[in-house]
Amino acid sequence: MTALRPRRPLLGPWRQAWIIRELMPFAVGILVWQALSSLNIWPSVLFPSPLEVFRAFVTDIGSGVLLSNLGVSLISLWWGFFIGAAIALPLGYLMGLHSVSRDFFDPLVNLLQAIPGLAWIPFAILWFGLGKGAVIFIIVMSVFFPILHNLLTGIRLIQPVLVEASQTLGAGRAAIIRHVIFPATLPNLMTGIRLGIAFGFRSLVGGEMIASTDGIGYQIFNAQQYFQSARIVVGMLSIGIVWLLMDRLVLRPIEQRTTMRWGMLREGIENT
Amino acid sequence: MNAAAGMLSVQGICKSHFDPNTGAQAEVLDSVSITVNDHEFVSVIGPSGCGKSTLLRIVAGLDQPNTGDISVAGKRVSRPGADRGMVFQEYALFPWKTTQANVEFGPLLKGAGKDERAATAKRFIELVGLKGSEQKYPHQLSGGMRQRAAVARALANNPKILLMDEPFAAVDAMTRQRLQEELTAISASERTTVLFVTHAIEEAVFLSDRVVVLSDRPGRVIADMKIELDRPRQWNELTRDARFTDYCAQLTRLLYGANAVPESRQ
Repeated sequence: MTALRPRRPLLGPWRQAWIIRELMPFAVGILVWQALSSLNIWPSVLFPSPLEVFRAFVTDIGSGVLLSNLGVSLISLWWGFFIGAAIALPLGYLMGLHSVSRDFFDPLVNLLQAIPGLAWIPFAILWFGLGKGAVIFIIVMSVFFPILHNLLTGIRLIQPVLVEASQTLGAGRAAIIRHVIFPATLPNLMTGIRLGIAFGFRSLVGGEMIASTDGIGYQIFNAQQYFQSARIVVGMLSIGIVWLLMDRLVLRPIEQRTTMRWGMLREGIENT
Repeated sequence: MNAAAGMLSVQGICKSHFDPNTGAQAEVLDSVSITVNDHEFVSVIGPSGCGKSTLLRIVAGLDQPNTGDISVAGKRVSRPGADRGMVFQEYALFPWKTTQANVEFGPLLKGAGKDERAATAKRFIELVGLKGSEQKYPHQLSGGMRQRAAVARALANNPKILLMDEPFAAVDAMTRQRLQEELTAISASERTTVLFVTHAIEEAVFLSDRVVVLSDRPGRVIADMKIELDRPRQWNELTRDARFTDYCAQLTRLLYGANAVPESRQ
């Protein structure tokens, strides 16, 4: 135990300089990348350098291509996520709280959830044609299952004594759902939403490569056709950056205000 | 229904449940009848597994008996309700609610307005000595403070009877004695009717007006003993009181036989 304790003071200044702490991993990553490309082992079309990628990034921002493609992709992602979540949430609570529905839907959900969202592309194109409709459809199919699955897990993990405590305080079914089931499932629901968005991104890019003529996935695919390797990386990194921003600006603040504040979720085990 | 039968009337409760080890129905409670009068503090003690917690859950409406009736203030009850407040061993506070919001929950369900809820919460949070912790979440409270909050939450709902299921079993010995002293003071000042389940003989004697003894499984009432000690009660006085030690010795004999040493003294 004592061997672990002296580490805290050493980390003190490190913990406070949060900007350094946030940026350091990326700086190190870029340095390693630059070092590798300086070795000139591979031609730049196979391994573009950070500088080339930065130039391509500036060009794509300047021409408006990157932002318009990102815009198209994010709108598809939003609709796919929204529709997927709008079906998964009520169905999840219904299955979690009503055993007849659970027994009916559970085999179907189990059968379908192993099928990757991308496997739906052929039907998505047949049903919706090339374009946003097909892309949104496969995002829905990818977002739906992680949200549903995690929500069901969350409902299973609710401590029965909390429901019983609310009953002895006079709570009926509606009050139990609102004041106990909803907040108790929030940690798992947030996990489901994170996974849903992550799966959604995968399907978004794959779907746009095959079934679309714009969007960030199409940009990556298109750049490859023209051997514009730096632009491929621009597309890939844009997805990463957008996800980081979503995580830091939306998901984490929600968690900090809810599940972390309630002590239901921690940053890591060392804080206990 | 005989309203004079007491605030809580438990009549002929039998309960058995399926035992997966034997594949048969195991009898847990065998025609248990208990009456708790208005403003009375009654403890139920018995060996582990005698069904005393099951009995309390049946009274709360959380479990259903095979046969028998429960009535509160002359009215038959079978489902959980706000007339029977419950304090659980594992606190059962809502982690997503502050101390104040936990205490306000019962009044909120009854449709009390914001000011009324706040006033009720303030009164009961002060009563249990949690002033200053209103805005803390349960994970920020110690075990003893959590149980105080759980008592405040149950009392703020103004139940006809307070059911307590080994509420102090999970806290350390010194905190336990403090909580026991606070509980006797609160139940006296609030004139609360309490049905308290424990396996600790001294705790039961310290807190109660009457102690009901259940036998080993299936639980049957084997004694119903009046505890005639003055109130308010405090540990440093009672442990020197010959009557207190005598009550404990009598209950020990009832529970464990003449030569046995009770678990709590080992």
